[in-house]
Amino acid sequence: MAGLRDKYCIVGVGETEYSKHSGRSTRAMAVEAVKTAMADAGLKASDVDGMMSYQSGDSTPANWVAPDLGIRLNFYMDVFGGGSSTEALVGLAMGAIESGMCNTVAIFRSMNGYSDFRIGGTGVRAAQPVRGLDLAQMPFGMRSAGQSFAPTFMRHMYEHGTTSEQVARVRVAHSKHASQNPKALLKERVTVADVVGSRWITKPLHLLDCCVETDNATCIIVTSTERARDLKQKPAYVMGVAGRVNKARTDFHWAAGPISRVAGYYAKDIVFGQAGIKPEDVDVTGSYDAFTFTTMLQLEEYGFCKKGEGGQYVSSGTIELGGRRPNNTSGGHLCEGYTHGMSMVIENVRQLRGRVDDNCPGWAEGKHSYDYSPGKCRQVKDAKITMNLGWAMPPTGSALILHS
Amino acid sequence: MANVEYRGMNLVIPENDSEWREHFKLARGHKLMLRACKACGLMRYPPSHGCPWCATLEWEWKEVSGKGHIYSYEVVHHAIQPGFKEWTPYAVVLVELDEQRGKPTPDEALRIIANLVTPDGKPEAEAKVAIGKRVRVVFQDLTPDFALPQFTLTDEPPVGRVWSLPG
Repeated sequence: MAGLRDKYCIVGVGETEYSKHSGRSTRAMAVEAVKTAMADAGLKASDVDGMMSYQSGDSTPANWVAPDLGIRLNFYMDVFGGGSSTEALVGLAMGAIESGMCNTVAIFRSMNGYSDFRIGGTGVRAAQPVRGLDLAQMPFGMRSAGQSFAPTFMRHMYEHGTTSEQVARVRVAHSKHASQNPKALLKERVTVADVVGSRWITKPLHLLDCCVETDNATCIIVTSTERARDLKQKPAYVMGVAGRVNKARTDFHWAAGPISRVAGYYAKDIVFGQAGIKPEDVDVTGSYDAFTFTTMLQLEEYGFCKKGEGGQYVSSGTIELGGRRPNNTSGGHLCEGYTHGMSMVIENVRQLRGRVDDNCPGWAEGKHSYDYSPGKCRQVKDAKITMNLGWAMPPTGSALILHS
Repeated sequence: MANVEYRGMNLVIPENDSEWREHFKLARGHKLMLRACKACGLMRYPPSHGCPWCATLEWEWKEVSGKGHIYSYEVVHHAIQPGFKEWTPYAVVLVELDEQRGKPTPDEALRIIANLVTPDGKPEAEAKVAIGKRVRVVFQDLTPDFALPQFTLTDEPPVGRVWSLPG
């Protein structure tokens, strides 16, 4: 992407309430999220001519959402997928604009992830027949994301001596961040003892190692830097993007080890290569936290620490507000709510603007106290470069580097 | 269309299936057989259509010993599928088979997901599950044409370090 660095940017972000009972359709939520992001950017209906979304048979397509907002589309596309989609779609939106198909693209994800289609496999999904590649694992009681990822986490513990207590520090950090986020579903700060003392879901995952399934819609708007000049917000410029990069044998990734290696092993060269920076240049990370372990595995694979030292890295204080490189300052999927990755990009855009919506009375004007004691600030001082590490599965991931 | 009801799940193998029907039928004959490339001879799992290493589309079934060791595992305490609730806690194991270990590259191997069960087909006790322990295949017959390959512990010496999650 040598020629595209800084040529595209995110100019608007928006979301609906994080809840466990939206009481309305994914279409209704998507419309609200897109409208909120448009208002944030200062865009009217005729300014938006592209729309994309991702889903897994649990949402509303873009061409049903646009008409509710008076938008006539020159381009739309709905793709199949969950985590790792956001970053990939930012790259595809840039391609759609670059090719001349459209000018400005709204990307949304809308899901009743708690009250309707629970990603864990209960609710509506429980009745679905088991066929195709699912026959390699579901008949053995390996159905949910946690169940599917657990052997990867266990092998990392075996190979590198990673402990439950180290990884619990991810939850501790993200709960600290969520306590500064009025939108978060789970605002209470927790301790390592709380995490390792919570009940087992599937070993090595305790309840508090797992994220909180949520009803929510999110939206980000991508346009060209040229178009962004007269818009409302300070743009978040795209330095580099890697979309759904895979390990070998993605159909059955256990076949190609080491299984504790994740997709970032391959994605890092693409995304850092485009951006022309190194991990130490990043101020804030958004490493996908469907589970405590996913944050840890990706941070080490992308080179924020040495391979195998992820446990030490996430328990060193580095990833907490006030540390050198905070991760998921909104509280992420573990505490703010589970949105398949887009909320973490939204948070990083707000960090780059210097306007995270914390408890500081002047946050909307960029006035922050930088006091990270409970119930106060979550703005990172002088955040200039952020990075999102999207996770679909151990062998599949995406990444996005933004700067202010 | 083959429909197998198992623990409340509907396992579906349609008429035009090109991957699974023979695999589970061979398992019903108590053979663990994998697809082997007719050109380079390397085996793979799950059943697929082209060789992951040389892209040759021609293959043949090849029987393996069904012996291996536990490469990784989990112990499910909170079952998702209702039919597994009575089985909790149950172990899901990633078994590395003895054949083709470290081939064609050092990190590759034939690995398969299954449950760790006692010889009579019940979930193995949680305290006995550990990485490195030796296992052999056993077959859980579900219909006249369908059996699930499962694994059970043997008393052979372990492979490498024996390790299980502390606590």
